Formats: sequence, structure tokens, C-alpha cells
Amino acid sequence: MRILVVEDDKDLNHQLVEALAQKGYVVDKAFDGEEGHFLGDTEPYDAIVLDLGLPVLDGVSVLSKWRRAGRKTPVLILTARDRWSDKVAGFDAGADDYVTKPFHMEEILARLRALVRRAAGIASSELQCGPVALDTANAKVTVDGRNIKLTSLEFRLLSYLMHHPGKVVSRSELVAHLYDQDFDRDSNTVEVFVGRLRKKLGVDVLQTVRGMGYAMIVPSA
Amino acid sequence: MLTVRSNSLWFRLVLSAVIISTSVLLVAAFLLNAIFVHALQDNFDQKLRSDLDGILANVELSLNGKPVLQTQLADSRFSLPLSGWYWQISDSESNEVLVASPSLLESKIPSTSGATAPDKSGTSAYSAVDVGEKNLRVIYRVVDLFGSPKKFAIRISGNFDELNGEITSFQKTLFAVLTGLGITLLTALIFQVRFALQPLAEMRRQLNAVRGGQADRLGGNFPTEIQPLANELNLLVEANREVVDRARMQVGNLAHALKTPLSVIGNETRNSTSPLAKKLREQIVMMNNHITLYLDRARRAARAHTAGASTEVAPVVEALARTVQRIQHGRKIEFKIDIPTGLRFRGECQDLEEMLGNLLDNAGKWANKKSWVTAQIMPLDSKTARGWLELTVEDDGPGIPEDRRTDAVKRGQRLDETKMGSGLGMSIISETAAMYSGDLKLESSELGGLKARLKLPMVV
Repeated sequence: MRILVVEDDKDLNHQLVEALAQKGYVVDKAFDGEEGHFLGDTEPYDAIVLDLGLPVLDGVSVLSKWRRAGRKTPVLILTARDRWSDKVAGFDAGADDYVTKPFHMEEILARLRALVRRAAGIASSELQCGPVALDTANAKVTVDGRNIKLTSLEFRLLSYLMHHPGKVVSRSELVAHLYDQDFDRDSNTVEVFVGRLRKKLGVDVLQTVRGMGYAMIVPSA
Repeated sequence: MLTVRSNSLWFRLVLSAVIISTSVLLVAAFLLNAIFVHALQDNFDQKLRSDLDGILANVELSLNGKPVLQTQLADSRFSLPLSGWYWQISDSESNEVLVASPSLLESKIPSTSGATAPDKSGTSAYSAVDVGEKNLRVIYRVVDLFGSPKKFAIRISGNFDELNGEITSFQKTLFAVLTGLGITLLTALIFQVRFALQPLAEMRRQLNAVRGGQADRLGGNFPTEIQPLANELNLLVEANREVVDRARMQVGNLAHALKTPLSVIGNETRNSTSPLAKKLREQIVMMNNHITLYLDRARRAARAHTAGASTEVAPVVEALARTVQRIQHGRKIEFKIDIPTGLRFRGECQDLEEMLGNLLDNAGKWANKKSWVTAQIMPLDSKTARGWLELTVEDDGPGIPEDRRTDAVKRGQRLDETKMGSGLGMSIISETAAMYSGDLKLESSELGGLKARLKLPMVV
């Protein structure tokens, strides 16, 4: 899961990035509206945290530009502006959630999880695919109730696939969502991780669709 | 209505007018009195002269060279002893009385002192006092009598006191007339002063309105003397408003700027259970509440100046309901809105948004499935002729028990600590409503939850 944080306060930006990375997200950051808009416009993020009072280009304008260009990425507005007129303007510009400062980091994390899930059309915080269960709130994976230890990259890989059950996900799409923008994108490494993940899960849910990519499919027992 | 303060223009104008008109009237009274007395005296003298002429026509020298009156004068007062009406003829050199009226008895008419200069007939007049303390008016002439080488002094006097009654009655009339005139003048003057000072009172009224927020500036059309003052006042009001606006903007900026560092500090403490971290978290909540409070006050203080604002209710409610539905995503809350189109709130859009936003947010948080938002027009207040509307927001949630509803409106009270919020929402609503002389009432809804009734002024 890739998240973009657009926040001009360096400390707060850093804290958000740290907290999100700790929860297994791949995080990109931007410090002004223009940079933020460019990244959101060109990279396939799963969610965006957007401040409103940004230098160069303000948050509502950035959001409006994305929406006009057809970008549907879930956006969480994080701002000090707490008037109702600001909230109405934010939601009307296409925001999916609105949190006012000061905030609790846990709240941001919970709301982002919900945003990502809702974007994938999943209601529960627990993703299930056959015997494999992924708890998005606690970043835990179980197979038939058995705890499985995964590295952060393996977790991200599984999480992304499980957010899109039954859908064939190409290698390049996986790369785009698993690594931040500076990573050297060699899609062959994905194959290695898929292999390891299969081994750790021990059940046959991760299918390779030749020439197209991978898909989570409930094994027909 | 008429309060007299010694340090007022009104007092100064009236006092000076009283002093001037009183002294003018007093001088006039003295002059008129003197003229009247003088005219009376002239008239009196005239009568005495004709009596003197009567004596002269009647007088003869007897054989011993003394003058004798052939017939007594017709006026009987000259016979009445000490009546004040006397005549006497004396030797002008020796001053020996040769013949006199019976009324004189043994006394003499007091001799000349302070007499007027003799006129062309050699007659002069003077005042004197006789033995009976009567005020006399004496006419005096020195004559030659046919057949005598001597000169004779003829004096004739009348009792001037007899005219006292006439003088007193004239003085009474004069006093009454002048007093009446003085009162009339003074009354006219008071009205005149009030009329002249009227624009100043009007200016004060308008300034009051500006201060109270019912007007933006002083209206034009003051008299030329104080129009410049009104213009200067308007400039001052404007400058003052700019200062306030700037200060308010600074408060807003400061408050918003503080929220990011507060977030940063809060985040730094989030993984720590140390007492310091706990204390910091507590203080951050308090600081944030202060910020919310003062931001809210600064906004409201600024809006106290704007007069004549009006906001259509329905679009605001719809936008807010749309927003609250998205805040409460995941939970589908159905808002049923029934607001008459064209219904307008007499006040700022932002105030309506803050009040309704908080109410709808509460309803959205607590409702199970649905919330009703309705508006009624209240019967016109016959006394003030002001129109009121009532907005009702109700939900099918758990509601608030009756005995805790007053607490709910108090500042910083949070009845349920598990839900998000600062606990300032309800108190901000009721304080804002109070600013518009409206109020917030909490009741039970027939839907099962809370029913909030918000009374606000309406544009009629």
C-alpha cells in the first residue's frame, strides 16, 4: 500500500511518514501543493493525506485538480481549519475524510485503513481469502488461525493482493504500489517475494497467471 | 427627558440667556417706571400751574401793600388743614409769608431746594416734604404785582402721595407683564436650544447604533457645523474596525499556526507512558480547547459589527447534511430535511453553519438510522414585531436523559467521553444563539433520541 503525505510542516510530515511506515505502508512525502499535486497525479497511491494550508498551491485546489483529472485516490484532509464552511468546501472538492489538528495519530491510521478498504469495496477491517486472514488494524496474518510472521514487504504484497481479491494484478502494478518512487523498480524481485510468501502461507491461494500477473483466488477444495 | 447637567451646552445656553434677559428686563422695568413717574409728575405740575395761574388772576394788593386773594380757590383741598395742598405768597426778599391757604395753618411751604431751572414764564418746580411728612410737589414763581415795587414769590403745592396708588398699580402691572414676557422668552429659548441641539442628540443616537452593531457608520445630513465632526467620526470608526479586523485575523492565524506544533508534540508523546507524556497529552487537550474558544470568540466579536446580514437556511442545511453524511461514512444516516424555501436567517452565514453543523454532527454521531431537520416560522412577536424561526434537529439515537440536558449545554461538558469532540459544540451553539437573542432547547424526540430546538431571528 502506497500513501502520499502532503504537509508543509517538516516535523509533522516526518511523524506521519514514520508512523505510516511502521504500519507497513510505503510512504512518499511532499512539502508543498505543487509537488504534492504532481506526485498524486502521476503515482498510483492507495490513499493521500493532504494538508489544506500549503505553500504554492492550497490543498483544496490540489484536490479539485486531481478530481477534475479523474483521479479517484481516497484523500484524507488533515488541517487546522475547523470551521464548517471549510469542511463543506473540503468534502465538496472531493475529500473522503476530514481530520482537524491537533489529532491522534491512531485516528489518522484507523481512518486511512478504512479509506483504503472502502476504496476496494471491503467493509470489514479483517480481510479473508480462504483460510488466510489479514487483520488490517493490527497488521497480523493468520492461516487457519495460525499466526504467520511476514517481513514488511511480504506483508505489503499480501495486503495489496487481498485488497483486490480475485483480480489479476500485474507485476508492474504491484511494484508501483509496493515501493516508493525512488526505488529501482526491477519486477523480477517481485517474483522472489511471491515465492517466499507462498511458502510461508503454505496454502495454495496465490496464483500466478502466466504472462499477466498474480491473483488471490480461494482454492476450490 | 430633560436632565440638567451643569456641564452641558444646554445648561450654558439657557443660563446665559437667563442672565441676559433678566438684566435687560430689569433695566427696562426701571426705565419704564421712571418714564411713567416723570410723565405723572409733569401732568401734576401742569395742574398746579393752572392753579397758580388761578391765584395770580385772583390776587390784588390791599391797601397796606399786602397781596389778598379776592375769592378762595374752588378746590376744597386748599382749605383742608395740612392736606398737602397749599399755596402761599411771600416777599421774595425777606421770605415773610404775606398770605397763605387755610390748609397751611401756621406752617410754611418748604423753600426752594433742587428746583428745576425757571422756564420762560419764570416758573420752576421742586419736590419737598411738609410738616406732616407728606411728599409735596411745589410750583414756584416770582412775580410783580401791579402797584407794588416789591417782588413776590408765589408757591403752590400738591400732595404727590395721592398718586402713589396709581404708581403702585402701574408697577404691579409692569412687573406682571415683564415677568410674563420673561417666562415666554425663556420657554421659547429652551425649545430653541433643544431644536438647535437636536442634531447632536441624533449624532449620539447614531454613534450608539454603530457601537451596538446596528449601523456601519453615521448617516449624512448633519448641520454644516457638525458634519465635519461626523465625517471624522466615520473615519475613526473605520480605522478602529480595521484595527479590530487585523487583530482578529492575527488571533485566527495564531490559533491555526499553533495547531500544527500541538499535533507534533502530541505525536511525539504517543508511544510513551511516562508521566511527562501523560501530562503533555492532558495539556495539549486544554490548549486546544483554549484555541477553539478564543477563535470562536474572535470570530463572533468580529461579526458583532456586521449589520443587516441575512442567510437562506435551506442550502446551508443541505450542504451540512451532505458533509456530515460523509464524515459518518460507513454508517448510513438518512437526513430527512424539510425547510421552507426562501426561509432566511437574520444573521451571518458562518454563524448558522457553526450552530447547525454542530447540531447535525451530533445527530449524525448518535443517530441509529435517521435524523430529521425541520424548520418552522414562529408566530410574530406582537411587542417587538420581530420574526423568529425555529430549527429542529432530532435523531433516533439514545438521546440525553432529562436531568443531564442542562449539563450538555455547559462549556466543555462531554457526556460521553468515548466519542470524538472537544465538548464545546453545544456551548458554542447556545452562546452564538444568545448573541442573536435566540436560544437552544433540548428535548426528547418522538424518534426516540434527542430533539434540539434552535430559535433564531428570521428575515420577515
